[in-house]
Amino acid sequence: MQAVGTHRSRVWTARVLFLLPVSVLFFFFFIYPFLFTIYTSFTSWRGIGSMKFNGLANYTKLLGDPTFRKALGNNVVWALSQGFIQVPLACLIAMILVRKPRFWRSLRTIYYLPNVISTVALAMVWVAIYNVEGPLNAILGALFGAEKRNWLGNPDTALFAVIFQTVIYIGYFMIILLASAMNIPRSLYEAAEIDGASTFQQELSITLPMLRGSLITTMTLAMAYGMRHFESTFLMTGGGPAYATTTMGIDLYLKMDALRYSEASTAGVFLIIMGTVVITVLRKIFGSSDPMSEMAQ
Amino acid sequence: MKHTYTPAQIIANFLKWILLLSLLAVALLPLLWLLISSLRTNLELQTNPFGWPKDMQWVNYAKALAMASLPRLLLNSAVVAASSVILNSAVTAMASFILARERFRGRDVLYTLFTAGVLVPVISFMVPYFSLITKSGLYNTLLALVLVYTAVNIPVSIFLVTAFMKSIPKELEEASVIDGCGFFKRFSVIILPLSRSGLVTAATFCFIYSWNEFLMAMLLTSSIESRTIQLGIKFFTSQFITDYASMYAAVVITIIPSIVGYVFLHDKIIGGLTAGAVKG
Repeated sequence: MQAVGTHRSRVWTARVLFLLPVSVLFFFFFIYPFLFTIYTSFTSWRGIGSMKFNGLANYTKLLGDPTFRKALGNNVVWALSQGFIQVPLACLIAMILVRKPRFWRSLRTIYYLPNVISTVALAMVWVAIYNVEGPLNAILGALFGAEKRNWLGNPDTALFAVIFQTVIYIGYFMIILLASAMNIPRSLYEAAEIDGASTFQQELSITLPMLRGSLITTMTLAMAYGMRHFESTFLMTGGGPAYATTTMGIDLYLKMDALRYSEASTAGVFLIIMGTVVITVLRKIFGSSDPMSEMAQ
Repeated sequence: MKHTYTPAQIIANFLKWILLLSLLAVALLPLLWLLISSLRTNLELQTNPFGWPKDMQWVNYAKALAMASLPRLLLNSAVVAASSVILNSAVTAMASFILARERFRGRDVLYTLFTAGVLVPVISFMVPYFSLITKSGLYNTLLALVLVYTAVNIPVSIFLVTAFMKSIPKELEEASVIDGCGFFKRFSVIILPLSRSGLVTAATFCFIYSWNEFLMAMLLTSSIESRTIQLGIKFFTSQFITDYASMYAAVVITIIPSIVGYVFLHDKIIGGLTAGAVKG
């Protein structure tokens, strides 16, 4: 009895010991910041001194702040364009690659490549591409005689320009959809073939319905990422010109930079809320899938 | 008998390849443009920004590396990325072993909690991270970045490594217990070596993140001693203000590790991405 007791307590000590490092890191970098963000959003705090509780003041201030509202609106545009343009395009590519055309493996590998390249480097390239004297204007000029535009410097085109460059990241969603399309049983297509269904009909009535779960997952991912967008816009335009491309993340950063810490925290709460809204709304509309296991990528 | 195509099939096939090749161009041209630009003269950059450079200006690379801060920034990035990968792999291997191979109450709750970390946008934590790092005296140190990168990658790594460890047949472990293997032996002799592939996948994602990360590095460091290469090419390139060609060379140098890593490990990355997709 004695021996069993010590053995069990030894096993428990070992288990706790093994879980401890992850738990400590997780506490300090996820749980504490989460609670801290929520807590400070109800205070007036400028980084130093004590935190004074001020109720919903930050929330009303933020919702009345034209910059933040602009950011929120831009994030919605981001989320919708990622979910309803990026993902369908990725799905189309996946539907082509699943039929294993020549070089499909190499294409799959190359399509994902931009996802491993630093945003800083790619943003620099895009700034050059969008430059008034850059390649894009030269190509459009040569093909259509279009006049030169300052794509990133003009408030009318800047948001479109920063969103358009995300097309290079399409491989990420495509790979998830392709893996799932490859799991569709061949027999379904063979049966349809015998029934005389055309390729187009097969895609419509077999592939798309079978991809439903993965489509919901990738759309959720894409829209959640659209809501938390920060890096490439920050690097290309800094949120300008005249806040035309700002996002909640950029707004948060600029507020923090101006030492408006509790307002920054409030923006952080909005970021968390909007991400949750996206996931919940998509689940309500399309039924549940398993975005969480995918988010873990 | 030769297979004949209907006109509709020929058109569909044509459109298909147009689409595939335009996407290929979109994925590769920015990188190719960067590479070619890094080999031009500055005059060519202005006068002939798309054509092939007349003479490859390899000297741009020498100039970039001769820039005072570049080697230091590269070293900082290498140290941060390597340390984050090692630390992240170590802590997640240990935790995943418990979460995948031990049975106890609360295990699934703990697993869900750790992996649910991905649902939270880390950028909303700018204020608390800054406050935490400053208060603990780690501001402007490489250690601050190592801790943040290790922690931020925990949800992904736990997800990948736990899934991998769960797939190891129970019999292997049972046999080892009969052979008298204790807790630590089961971990180090049986599970750990068998999970190598899952750990490499998680480590690859952690490396890509740590090497490329920009925001936290900008937020938590302030001087050349602890800044990473991503900040370097964003801010210190002002040194190059008249020498764009060398600046592009510097950028190419910074993306080489990612590309080399991808060439060798793309199967692991693609496998990792699709680990959750199999369920459909």
